[in-house]
Amino acid sequence: MKKDLSIDFLGVHCENPFFLSSSPVCNNAEQIAKAFDAGWAGIFYKTVGIEGMNECSPRFDVLSDDPSSWSGFKNMEQISEMSLEQNVEEIKKLKENYPNKVLGISIMGSTEEEWRTLAKAVTEAGADLIELNFSCPQMTSHDMGSDVGQNPQLVSDYTRAVVESTHVPVIAKMTPNVAEMSDTAIAAANSGAKSVSAINTIKSITNIDIDNMTGKPVVNGKSSVSGYSGNAAKPIALRFITELAQCEDLKDVELSGIGGIETWQDALEFMLLGCRNVQVTTSVMQYGYRIVEDLISGLSHFMEERGVDHLDEIVGKAVNNIIPSEELDRSFMIIPKVDEDKCVGCARCYISCYDGSHQAIEWDNKTRTPKILEDKCVGCHLCINVCPVTDCITPGDIVFKDGQSNSRSEKEIAQQLVYL
Amino acid sequence: MDRNQTLVYEPVEIEAFDFRRAMEEASRCLLCEDAPCSTACPSDTDPEKFIRSIRFKNVNGAAETIRESNILGASCALICPQEKLCEQACNRCGIDEPIQIGKLQQFAMEYERKLDKTYLSKTDTYIDKHVACIGAGPASLACAAELAKEGVEVTIFDENEKPGGMLRYEIPPYRLPDVVIEQDIRQLEKLGVKFELNHKVTIDEKEQMKNEYDAVFVGAGTWEAKKIDIPGINLEGVVNALDFLEQAKVSNGKSPSLGRVVIVGGGDVGMDCASTCKHLGADSIYDVFMETLKDAPATEKEKVESFKIGVPLISEFKPVEIIGDEKVEKVKFEHITNGSTMEMVADTVIMAVGQKTRQDAQYWNQRSDIFTGGDMVNGGDTVVQAVKEGKEAATKIINTTFKN
Repeated sequence: MKKDLSIDFLGVHCENPFFLSSSPVCNNAEQIAKAFDAGWAGIFYKTVGIEGMNECSPRFDVLSDDPSSWSGFKNMEQISEMSLEQNVEEIKKLKENYPNKVLGISIMGSTEEEWRTLAKAVTEAGADLIELNFSCPQMTSHDMGSDVGQNPQLVSDYTRAVVESTHVPVIAKMTPNVAEMSDTAIAAANSGAKSVSAINTIKSITNIDIDNMTGKPVVNGKSSVSGYSGNAAKPIALRFITELAQCEDLKDVELSGIGGIETWQDALEFMLLGCRNVQVTTSVMQYGYRIVEDLISGLSHFMEERGVDHLDEIVGKAVNNIIPSEELDRSFMIIPKVDEDKCVGCARCYISCYDGSHQAIEWDNKTRTPKILEDKCVGCHLCINVCPVTDCITPGDIVFKDGQSNSRSEKEIAQQLVYL
Repeated sequence: MDRNQTLVYEPVEIEAFDFRRAMEEASRCLLCEDAPCSTACPSDTDPEKFIRSIRFKNVNGAAETIRESNILGASCALICPQEKLCEQACNRCGIDEPIQIGKLQQFAMEYERKLDKTYLSKTDTYIDKHVACIGAGPASLACAAELAKEGVEVTIFDENEKPGGMLRYEIPPYRLPDVVIEQDIRQLEKLGVKFELNHKVTIDEKEQMKNEYDAVFVGAGTWEAKKIDIPGINLEGVVNALDFLEQAKVSNGKSPSLGRVVIVGGGDVGMDCASTCKHLGADSIYDVFMETLKDAPATEKEKVESFKIGVPLISEFKPVEIIGDEKVEKVKFEHITNGSTMEMVADTVIMAVGQKTRQDAQYWNQRSDIFTGGDMVNGGDTVVQAVKEGKEAATKIINTTFKN
């Protein structure tokens, strides 16, 4: 299945919306060449600074229910280990060998002068786009990283310094370690950034090592707060993207989505909230560049099934359907029903309903069957979410609360619910 | 859900993983580099790639990968001896159990069937070429599909009423339901392949076809049972396995009373006969073979299945005489090493001791102007091997005939 997945981002033509984010998956030309060959449309090169970093060992920690997949991932790496001069050479090689791929170069300075120097150097080296790293939460200098990204004034100053030093479009990469993201995003946009990318990693302690009494990973008996990413971060990322997409002052700013993307569905979700491309790292660190094959194939099949010819048709389609909670339709309840032929008799629905909801399931321990008590059920669907059997408990009758109604038919409301 | 299996000779479908089970199983996959499962598949069905697609929620992509390499992907999911091929090679064996690759393939193929999806498309590379494929079995179907994808106009000839060859006429429906065979055949039809059924192609006709078509492929199967030369082999009640299975299939499992059955042979065909007899309500069933239980060629899965349905497997005995007047009454066996003998009362004896290549096969195989493949060439191997040979023949046709 070959579909045209091309989409323009900041006036740059991209063969598909799949980018690698600035991280260990984009360290050098040799490594990135493999990513391009695998099918990624472009990259955001691992953040280039004036000097290379001095890193700790070990530097990662993982959160997972089963060893085969990480739900969350913590890393303590900073920006590139290489100097500006070395990175410029790598970027030149990529530009020469892959003229049709998109080279986004992430940079980070600690003074306006450094930002200018970096911007000029990577522009000359062949950057198509420059991303400003205002968001790495584990820098050893407080003049850099997410400490900067939390300060709209610094974001504004550094963005302006870069915009004045380059002709290529500039993207500001946001930290989620703030209450609201729009202030800093607006600061960047007002200073000339054409795009905002979000989110960088979330400040975290993933686990405490109970033997050493410190966080993980343990570095000679100690650990630090540092960035959390992976699929568990996706909901937080989508929330910030929604905020940016709905912000009036940012409506001319293009969005680039980052946060826990593993599958084509994850990517599509970011695009439906207004992102024109997505950036991926954690799942590539776990599974390799090859995951782009299923991102491309899965999105192509989706477009074929839905009759979508161009990605522009779907970008932002979900933005207006995220509304303030006070505006939600609260006129009805959807009462679940149990398929007794499918029920295996585990009673998990009964336990959860009793202990976690409204005691609306009666359990017959002779026949080992649950019964939903319609007069007590509030339609929360905790039982559906906890049931281990596919299609055993499903949405059933729609009950309008005392004399209320709405414009949609019961059938339409029910069809909106899909539980896998 | 019924925890006790019930015996149905012709089930509508065979229970498949639902989405959740498939995701659980796919997440067990180690997603190896240069994956040994993919290397172990004769027809390059590429389990590593399609399992990875399932793992990343791209079921369409999984089904597409299977289809692109194996036109019989739905059938192979059910009947392939995975435990001797991809699943045996699986690196997960170093941790616990191999990934259930067949079940994941079945999941992707069920998705294709239930949503009536089409993944294959034609190019117009060889749009002016015509090829005849003789036989509608696995090798021929695979050859036809490969050619049709390149735009070739292919006609398949078969003497039977329905396409599929041994898939249709030998493999019992409780292992491979008709609906799954039809699903695979439909993919060929969508590629524009034409079927000329009830058409037995004579030798003269084949010679004539050589002039009418740009190439002729013959994949006519084996269809001839090996016979062992022991006294009483021609008595009434002694049948060969292929005839027995075909008869059971065309009569939809409604055979005349079998009485007490003794099966000779420890291969998959022997096991198929054993379970078919069970479905058909035989009074008693014993399966006897010369090999040790471990060495008997049937897959572990089939042997276990025989135990489960209550068919005793008796190893290391060979038949020496079939006793009876006109009709079989007993079979006499001798132990292959220790001299023990055994006589078993029987009303029906099913000989499942292998197939041999049909008499005309050698003639066609030697012809340089005819392309061949499948059981007719290899003497009787797996369906997936026949698919491989059919695909290879197609490549050969393109390289040696079309490109000149």
